[in-house]
Amino acid sequence: MILLQSHSRFLLQTLLNRLRDIEKGVELDYHWVEFDDIRYHVQVSMKNPHLVLLSLSLPTPPPETDFPGGLPSGAVEAVKVAYAGVVQILDPPRDGFNLTLKLNFSKFPPNEDRRQALLVKIASVREIVLGAPLRALLKHLATKTISSDMDQLVALVHRPNESFFVIPRVDKVIVVFPMRFKDSIDTVLATSFLQEFVQARRTAGLNNAPPCLWSSSPPLELNKAPVEALSANAGFVSFVIFPRHVEGRKLDRTVSSLSTFHAYVSYHVKCSEGFMHTRMRRRVESLIEALDRAKPDVAESKNLANNRSFKRLSLKEAHANYHS
Amino acid sequence: MDPAASRPAVVIDNGTGYTKMGFAGNVEPCFIVPTVVAVNESFQNQSRSSSKSSNWLAQHSAGVMADLDFYIGEDAHARSRSSSIYNLTYPIKHGQVDNWDAMERFWQHCIFNYLRCDPEDHYFLLTESPLTAPESREYTGEIMFETFNVPGLYIAVQPVLALAAGYTTSKCEMTGVVVDVGDGATHVVPVADGYVIGSSIKSIPISGKDVTLFIQQLMRERGEHVPPEDSFEVARKVKETYCYTCSDIVKEYNKHDKEPAKYIKQFKGVKPKTGAPYTCDIGYERFLGPEVFFNPEIYSSDFTSPLPVVIDKCIQSAPIDTRRALYKNIVLSGGSTMFKDFHRRLQRDLKKIVDARVLASDARLGGEVKAQPVEVNVVSHPIQKFAVWFGGSVLGSTPEFFEACHTKAEYDEYGASICRTNPVFKGMY
Ligand SMILES: Nc1ncnc2c1ncn2[C@@H]1O[C@H](COP(=O)(O)OP(=O)(O)OP(=O)(O)O)[C@@H](O)[C@H]1O
Ligand SMILES: [Mg+2]
Repeated sequence: MILLQSHSRFLLQTLLNRLRDIEKGVELDYHWVEFDDIRYHVQVSMKNPHLVLLSLSLPTPPPETDFPGGLPSGAVEAVKVAYAGVVQILDPPRDGFNLTLKLNFSKFPPNEDRRQALLVKIASVREIVLGAPLRALLKHLATKTISSDMDQLVALVHRPNESFFVIPRVDKVIVVFPMRFKDSIDTVLATSFLQEFVQARRTAGLNNAPPCLWSSSPPLELNKAPVEALSANAGFVSFVIFPRHVEGRKLDRTVSSLSTFHAYVSYHVKCSEGFMHTRMRRRVESLIEALDRAKPDVAESKNLANNRSFKRLSLKEAHANYHS
Repeated sequence: MDPAASRPAVVIDNGTGYTKMGFAGNVEPCFIVPTVVAVNESFQNQSRSSSKSSNWLAQHSAGVMADLDFYIGEDAHARSRSSSIYNLTYPIKHGQVDNWDAMERFWQHCIFNYLRCDPEDHYFLLTESPLTAPESREYTGEIMFETFNVPGLYIAVQPVLALAAGYTTSKCEMTGVVVDVGDGATHVVPVADGYVIGSSIKSIPISGKDVTLFIQQLMRERGEHVPPEDSFEVARKVKETYCYTCSDIVKEYNKHDKEPAKYIKQFKGVKPKTGAPYTCDIGYERFLGPEVFFNPEIYSSDFTSPLPVVIDKCIQSAPIDTRRALYKNIVLSGGSTMFKDFHRRLQRDLKKIVDARVLASDARLGGEVKAQPVEVNVVSHPIQKFAVWFGGSVLGSTPEFFEACHTKAEYDEYGASICRTNPVFKGMY
C-alpha cells in the first residue's frame, strides 16, 4: 500500500534550496494548494534573506467543529512545541490565511541531521496544525489520562465543510469517517475499496492493526451528530484505536494516517481507475489488431480480373440496404 | 461560481526530456523532473504467468501492485540504477506521447506525489507540440476527465505559450516566430495573433538529445575515460555546464590551440559501480556541440540546413503581410537555447541572410526604389528554459482562461471529441 507522505514535497524542497542559497539573497514568492484545500504561501524578501514567512490556510470548518481563533483547538500550542526557538507566530496572520509563521534560518541547528529533521517537521505543518486536536486525544489514550472530552462526540475538520468524528473512551478511541465523493463512479469504486479494505484487515497478519468497520448507514456512535454531517454517499468507516497503536513513536504515524485517510482512499480510487483504463486501452488495441488481421489484402484484391469500379449488388444485399 | 476556478490552475508542460509542473500565477514551476517512469516488471511477468491458471484474483492483485509500484523522475533513475527489476519507460518521444499507460502513471505521480493536489479541485492546463494529432488530444482529455475527474481542461500549443511568456508587463504581442529547441524536437513556429500558421511550421530533426549524443561521441573518440554506462549523463552535464556558441569555428579552434589552459575544462565524476573518482578533459566539444544547429553537416549527413536558414524559410513561407512582424519578434524557448550567446549568433546569421536578400532585390530594381530595411530581432529572456510553462502560468491566471476551458459537464455531454480544439482566448492577444 502506498501512503501519502505527511510533508509537503514542494515546501521541503523550497526550504532546502533556500538554506543552500541563502547568500544569493533572491526574493521568493510562491502560492500553492494541496489536497483538502490547504493553501500555502511562502515569501522571502531581499532585505531579510534569512527570514521566511510561511502562511497556511485551512479548509473551511463545518459548524459542528471547534475552531477557536480560526485554528483547530490546541494548534497554537502544538506549533510552539514542535518548532520551539526557530518560529514565531504572527498575530494577526496574513490576509486570507489562518496562520502565518516567521521562520528564522539563522537560529537553525548547525547539525546536519537535526536541521534536516526540523525542515521535514516544518514541511509537515499541515499535520501539526490540523492534526493537533486528534493528537491531543490520542495522547490522553497513550498516557491513560482522562480528558474533558471523555465519552463525548468530538468533530474535527479534515476537508472543506466536512468533519470526521472522534469518541474518546477510557480504554480506546473510536474514529468515524463519513466518506463522500463527488463523482458517481468514484463513489462506487470507493465503496467497494472500503469493503475490501475492511476485509483485508480481517485476514491473517494484520491482527495488530486497529479494527475497522464499514457500514452504509451512520454507526450508533454518531447519533448525537448533526444531521448534515450524516449523509455520506460512500458510507462510514470506523477505526478503534487502542493504547498499543499510539504508544511511543507510533503516535505520529497514527495521527498522520488518520489525518490523510480520505485523501488516501481517493488516491487509491484514482489508481484503480487508471488501472482499468490501462486494461481497456489494451483490449481496444488487441481488438484493432484483430480487425487489421481480418482486412483482405489490398494488393491481392487489385489483381482480381473482375475488379470493377462499381459494385453490383445482389438482390438480397439491395434489400438489406433498403431496410437499414 | 465554480469553487475550482477560485483555486490556481495546475499547469503541466510535458516535454520529451523534462516535465515542468506547478500552479498558475507563480514565476517558476514547482518541479522540473525528467519525463521517465520506472516500472517494476516482475509483477507484470507474474500476472502474465498466473493468467494461465486463470486465477483472476491473483492476476488482479498483481496488476494492482504493479500499478502502484513505480517511480518517476529522478527517483526512477535512482531505482533503475540500484535494482534490475525496474525498467525505464520514456512516455514521450519527439514531443509526442508514445506510451499512454506510462503517461497516465506519470501524471498520477505528478498530481498526487509531487504537487499533492486533488485533481478534482483544479482546472488543468496541459501543453502539446504543434504537430500533435487530434486523436492524441482526445486521449489526453479522456485520461484527465475520466481518471482524474478534472473540472476543466485546456490543452495549449507549446509555442503559443512561449510567445505569451515574453510579454507580461507590456502589452501582449501574440505575433512572432517561436524557435522551440527542447530535448527531442525542434520546431520553428510562426504565430499570428495567437493562431499558429500551420502550413509554415518547420521542424528540424536535430535537438538537445542530438547535441548530447554528439558530445558523447566526440569525447569517446578522443578516448576520455568515462565509464560507458554513465557517458550519456556525463555528456549531458558537460553540455549544460560548459558549452557555448562561438561566432566562428576556425577562430575558435585557434583560440583553443593557443591557450589550452584557458579553454580546456575538467570534469570530475565518480564511477557508479566502484565509487572511484575520475576526471576527464573537455575541449573542442564546448563549442562544437551547439554548432550542430548552425552547421548540421558536422553531425549528420542527412540534414544540412542551418537553423537560421530554416527560420528564414519559415518566415518567407508565411503570409506576406505578417513577415515583417515575424522577423521583428523571434522568440527562443526550450532548454537547448540556453547556450551562451545562442541568440546573438542566431540574430547575426539571420540578419546576414535577410540583408543579402534586400541587397539582391535592390540591385535587381536598379537602385530606383530602395526596399525598407527589415528589422530582425531575436528575443531572449531569462525564463527561456521553461518559457512554455511560464506562458501557461500567465495565461492560466487570467479570468478568461477558465471560460476557455472545456468543462467536465461538456465532456460528459459531448464526449472526448471536444478536446480536439481549444479556443484561442482573450489575454492571448
Ligand atoms: N543550460 C543549458 N544549456 C544547454 N542545454 C540545456 C541547458 N539546460 C537544459 N538543457 C537541455 O535542454 C533540453 C531540455 O529542454 P526542454 O525542457 O525545453 O525540453 P523538453 O520540453 O523536455 O522537450 P521537447 O520540448 O522537445 O519535448 C535537454 O536536452 C537539456 O539537456
Ligand atoms: Mg518543451
